[in-house]
Amino acid sequence: MEKTVDSFRFISGITRRMIRTWISMEKPRPIPWTPLAKPLAQSTVALLSSAGVALKTDQPFDQEGERQNPWWGDPSYRILPDTATENDVRLYHLHIDPRFAEQDLNCLFPLGRLKELEQSGEIGRSSPRHYSMMGYILEPETLLKVTVPAITRDLREDQADVVVLVPA
Amino acid sequence: MPDLTASVSVPRLAAIEYPLGRTLGQPGDAAGQLAVLRATLHALETIQTPGGIVNLPFEWPESPKVVQNSQTENPPIARYIVKHPWLLPRLLNRDVPK
Repeated sequence: MEKTVDSFRFISGITRRMIRTWISMEKPRPIPWTPLAKPLAQSTVALLSSAGVALKTDQPFDQEGERQNPWWGDPSYRILPDTATENDVRLYHLHIDPRFAEQDLNCLFPLGRLKELEQSGEIGRSSPRHYSMMGYILEPETLLKVTVPAITRDLREDQADVVVLVPA
Repeated sequence: MPDLTASVSVPRLAAIEYPLGRTLGQPGDAAGQLAVLRATLHALETIQTPGGIVNLPFEWPESPKVVQNSQTENPPIARYIVKHPWLLPRLLNRDVPK
């Protein structure tokens, strides 16, 4: 029998209440659908993480802004190369524990594992560029109007066939 | 939180019962992380209808209590709401004060 995933097994208190309320606020809407254009073994695969991952050499996500105004979250995004490891990045997300992924980036952003699937021929290739935003954004206007179109443009440039969104 | 993801009408969803911060698995568990990524990509081939959901079979090895004890400090909004409890309904309704 297929397992039924319990979304709230590891979520308690106010967060659980908040997420349940947010789910109840969503109305059904048309679901976008793009068929898989070619087999996975020929597809370029990109990752998009909501964990606030950025290269140490890149600008950090703005955590001070959120500390000043806890209703606000940084809606920008960062680009990461397919070769990035935990040694190259930091996590800027005040709602998750960053220690696990800073110890092993594959906990959240499995670039190493994706490369292995490329080497074994299960996917065509790992995209040369992968993406991260920071997932705590109560008002998503800037995210939807600026960040998402920019990431979409980048993904088209990369000729990505598949994008795996990895929630943090 | 797969239920939240499903509520915003994504085209395909691979649901997993793992804690925040470790969506693919434990640090150092390369085999486990690879199994989750492989199963997620496989769902791309098996889901044939918009909004299709695959429940991944993986079980997290720790209890919720152990997981919660390993979390870091509360985020700024949680500390803010403790001091301003009358604003909780606004947070629940994503009604951000101007």
